[in-house]
Amino acid sequence: MTLRRCLIPGPVRSLGLFATTSLIALGMAFGPASAQEQQTPEQPAQEQQAQGEQTTQTEGEREAAEAAQALASGEADEPVVLNAPKPDARRVYVQDPAHFAAVTQQFVIDGSTGEVIGMTDGGFLPHPLPAADGSFFAQVSTVFKRIARGERTDYVEVFDSETFEPTADIELPDAPRFLLGTYEWMNALTPDNKQLLFYQFSPAPAVGVVDLEGKKFDRMIDVPDCYHIFPATPDVFYMNCRDGSLAQIDISGEEPKVTNTEVFHGEEELLINHPAYSMRAGRLVWPTYTGKIFRADLTAEGAKFLDPIEALTEAERADGWRPGGWQQTAYHRKSDRTFLLVDQRDEWRHKAASRFLVVMDGNGQRIAKFELGHEIDSINVSQDDEPLLYALSAGDQTLYILDAETGEELRSVDQLGRGPQIITTHDMDS
Amino acid sequence: MNLALTTRSLAVALTIALAGASGAAAADAITPGETQIPASEAPADAVVVNIAKMKYETPDLKVAPGTTVVWVNQEAMPHNIAFQKGVVGDDAFEGAMLKKDEAYVVTFNEAGTYAYHCTPHPFMRGKVTVE
Repeated sequence: MTLRRCLIPGPVRSLGLFATTSLIALGMAFGPASAQEQQTPEQPAQEQQAQGEQTTQTEGEREAAEAAQALASGEADEPVVLNAPKPDARRVYVQDPAHFAAVTQQFVIDGSTGEVIGMTDGGFLPHPLPAADGSFFAQVSTVFKRIARGERTDYVEVFDSETFEPTADIELPDAPRFLLGTYEWMNALTPDNKQLLFYQFSPAPAVGVVDLEGKKFDRMIDVPDCYHIFPATPDVFYMNCRDGSLAQIDISGEEPKVTNTEVFHGEEELLINHPAYSMRAGRLVWPTYTGKIFRADLTAEGAKFLDPIEALTEAERADGWRPGGWQQTAYHRKSDRTFLLVDQRDEWRHKAASRFLVVMDGNGQRIAKFELGHEIDSINVSQDDEPLLYALSAGDQTLYILDAETGEELRSVDQLGRGPQIITTHDMDS
Repeated sequence: MNLALTTRSLAVALTIALAGASGAAAADAITPGETQIPASEAPADAVVVNIAKMKYETPDLKVAPGTTVVWVNQEAMPHNIAFQKGVVGDDAFEGAMLKKDEAYVVTFNEAGTYAYHCTPHPFMRGKVTVE
């Protein structure tokens, strides 16, 4: 089932709010009296805030004022099911694995306003996959017949990006999903959005192909001992292998064609589970436990490795600075900037939250080091010209939204489940 | 499909028809040990495959029908041997996990090629060819 709680300013929604939460609405409406006087339905509070006339009114206050005004003017409450606004580059999805709970939630948030505009339910450790162009979002999920036991069903679910109605439900035979703490690139959509690729760990490494156009499971592809999926074209994707190379997998023919790159990192250089990858740029950004960052540009022709960069200075590393968290890396395609969560920590506390963030340009030069003011586990950025930095705290269950240029905290969204960990966006701003 | 596999498949099908339970099929192709045993108690005439450094030391083993093979784990990391569906029967088969200096015995009854892997380490693979 899909839940919706979408913001559409106007009397219908306001009256609905009043009818269902009348005491709250009235109580809050009487608070900001001046807001009531200044606000008209023709000029929503959001707009007023944008114009600088109202800077302190909360969303709840605004809604309460609208509801009170609608009631006073005699408008009837007409409850309806809302649609979410059209997706844009600042829409952000927050997946909550809920510390391995059998059922989970995903919160869909407007990063520009910090409002939850919808939700989707998921099963056990679902993997979220928003299409880069915003045309839909999907998830690969797992449910059991008796909550957490009984017959297991793995499936792919595709959602309309405005109604949040499921438009496809595709069962995966023989429960092939790899059940693990969610890694952003363990599953992927192909760049043309026509196929979904998911990883199978046991009993043998394989990648499942789901035909989203035909709404059916296609086939399993045997792959080498490699992990993660980074599509470069509709038919070519890359994986990271145990031997330290990348594998290029070409699935255009009947049999997959596997080509390994050179070994690009030493056995003691431990690549984290959460690389950043821009499918539109083909840029893979992969830090180690020490903050050394390997980069590669992935195309149908091959992988071109760039010179590794160091996110932390020698002095910082000597002083105990290391990356840490969950989704620790973000990459902004247009500015060619890399973001990494860091803090002072023991070598083996690499999954604890971080309080700082370093920003590097395409040459690996540091642009900024922000103190985040919170215990942050995951980051991502919007891909527009003036990107937002999303900083998620699993402990606070809160998404902090910052200006990616200055590091200034702009707003936050709390009560995001039990242990939110994954942030995904649409890369749809050309 | 070679003759050996065909023969085995027929035997499996017959067993299923008689027993009405696909799980019984595993016993036709192999006779597995009930559980792990101390390495010192492994049959003296068994062919040994040692496990160390995340590898089966003899990943490509050839034996005659009726041969008993014993896998011996020589490191602290637990390992086992497991067969995917359709290899030794319709169902998948998982041997017991072996701690250091523990052993697991399997007797291969029929000709065929039996690919196996370690359950928690699917990159560890081997095969036993019985001919």
